[in-house]
Amino acid sequence: MSVRRLGVSTLFVAVWTASSFGQPTAPPRTVELTLTAAATHLSLVPGVTTEVYAYNGTVPGPTLEFREGDRVIVHFRNNLPQPSTIHWHGLHVPAAMDGSPFNAIAPGGHYDYVFTIPRGAAGTYWYHPHPDQITGLQVAKGLYGAIVVRAPDDPLPASLPESVLLLSDNRFLPDGSIDIPPPDSPQGRVDFENGREGDVLFVNGRILPTLAIRSGEVQRWRFINASGARVYRLALAGQTFLQVGSDGGLFEHPVEVKEILLAVGERAEVLVRGTGPPGSRAVLQTLPYDRYIPQTRPADWNEAHDLLTLQYTDEPAVAPIALPAELRAVPALDPSKATTTRVVTLSQGFLNGKVMDMSRVDVSASLGATEIWEIENLVGLDHPFHMHGFQFQVLDRDGVPEPYRAWKDTVNVPKHESVRIIVRYDDFPGKWMYHCHILAHEDAGMMGVLEVK
Amino acid sequence: MRRATKTSVCLILFGCALVVAGFARSAAQTTAESAAPPVTEPLVQRGRLLVLTHACSECHGGNDNPAADGWLAGVRSPDMEFKIGPCAVTPGATPCFTTRPRNLTPDNMTGLGRFSERQIFNALRYGLRPEDTADVTITSNTPGQGNFPANPKYLAPPMPWPSWRHMPDADLWAIAAYLKYGVKPVHNRVEDSEGPPDFWASEYTVEKIGPYPATPFPSGREGFTRASVPTR
Repeated sequence: MSVRRLGVSTLFVAVWTASSFGQPTAPPRTVELTLTAAATHLSLVPGVTTEVYAYNGTVPGPTLEFREGDRVIVHFRNNLPQPSTIHWHGLHVPAAMDGSPFNAIAPGGHYDYVFTIPRGAAGTYWYHPHPDQITGLQVAKGLYGAIVVRAPDDPLPASLPESVLLLSDNRFLPDGSIDIPPPDSPQGRVDFENGREGDVLFVNGRILPTLAIRSGEVQRWRFINASGARVYRLALAGQTFLQVGSDGGLFEHPVEVKEILLAVGERAEVLVRGTGPPGSRAVLQTLPYDRYIPQTRPADWNEAHDLLTLQYTDEPAVAPIALPAELRAVPALDPSKATTTRVVTLSQGFLNGKVMDMSRVDVSASLGATEIWEIENLVGLDHPFHMHGFQFQVLDRDGVPEPYRAWKDTVNVPKHESVRIIVRYDDFPGKWMYHCHILAHEDAGMMGVLEVK
Repeated sequence: MRRATKTSVCLILFGCALVVAGFARSAAQTTAESAAPPVTEPLVQRGRLLVLTHACSECHGGNDNPAADGWLAGVRSPDMEFKIGPCAVTPGATPCFTTRPRNLTPDNMTGLGRFSERQIFNALRYGLRPEDTADVTITSNTPGQGNFPANPKYLAPPMPWPSWRHMPDADLWAIAAYLKYGVKPVHNRVEDSEGPPDFWASEYTVEKIGPYPATPFPSGREGFTRASVPTR
């Protein structure tokens, strides 16, 4: 309900297959849909229309809902004037279905993405284009959308009202057009340095929307950072979040947190408890976070920004609901099984001092191998590191062991810090990208090629 | 010594225009690789001599004494910082940037450990920040050509690379070899230097620092005739 109230359309075109296999609550099925990327005009900010690139005519694109075990067929039609792909950020799919720059679809072309949602993949994901050098442009123009994967055995009560909160930002010229300055202009160069940030903040494509909650109610929110560069430091004044999951689904136990730092590409699943009285309101904010180098730190970096109003209804408070203390098992990847430790250094535009070359393989790995990657940020600007194809676990950050286990596909590596992750290439041979998810950096070649065979 | 340097830098940068620059995907131009020479103890010793004679430690730590605590380990106290801009003369004047000599020891996370000798070479020859410049051989001084970054980002003042770039290749490789292999790593995280968003590009133009290589001798202001030398 809240999803619809926030203006996200949900695409849910399912063709049920005749099959007796599977669990009684969620039989395997085939979900078939079409996503068409095309230029159109929409009103994103009041009073003007904007030429955008949109999936099926909306920004954000439709929210896709799948179930674990679903066979998914997405007919992609690229009606853009430039190459594009659809990358299923975080989903464990075969390399040819990953929508990476290796498989760009030409203007006017089409491609069928076919994959099966693995068991245990329930969580929050998103989709966006990933063509070489123009990902940032296409996302800035509106190509991104949410994915929710549901489990047949979700431990959280199905009665919890649920919202996808897809966070993005953008910058507009007075005539409503999207402000994408030439790369060699002063602002264009700052956009390369920091990644392109916008001064208009959107939640599900809307500016400061209102979400209703009843006093005493518990809601389940799924945050997705679909911005090109902005890091969100999410806080709801006067209360904490109960974080239940991140990129690759639920944690083992809920974790009480005051705020959530969400770098580009990351997701967080939280429970919000309606602790306010009937009729009151609270504001979800993103608090100041200094991810910047001094040379290009924005003047307003230390200001908080409102994202969403949480409006309590006038109804009397509902009775508290019991929440599970255990969510699911997240089996640990064992560092003693790691056959290799790799060092990936992050600097401004480079991985290990190199610009990406698609004809080069930077990391060759064996199918089934477990590896540790030590990701070192050598510079004074945070870089969110994303690995395609495989969910990993964070072992430690700057030597401090990760307090709880989670499946991740994107991890922020703060300025001058290091993060160690462990990953197992359990299936799907092929060539995969790993990169900084600040889109301007990715487009500049801050990306590498991992070949699993 | 340090105070004098501050003043001269301030004058150079007085009224500087803050033109913005950033990184761009540099031309992936194929060039012949001119690799660093094999690292030998004589090479490292040569590098040590050059580091001593070029006063590196007067800013980067150690005060000309390789046995001193903090040798080349970068800023360890605020009095090692520089104020760059008019504020060095008039307190409160702007622009005013605090710059900090970096840790030159081969520590991985806080020093030069993860940068290649070639990146150190490129820093000394072209003034290019190792963390903002690909690990490639540069064959041109023109931005966007021969692997020279389209939007070069330069080391913060008062690093005197415009003078030291004229050292022979062999000397720069020797310094790189000494810093990478002749100094013990010290873990000392130096706060990032401040600077204009163009990373000093508008200060390090050919018009302001002259060409590299320098105009061949004799330029219009130079000359030599044996007859001008007094007979001794």
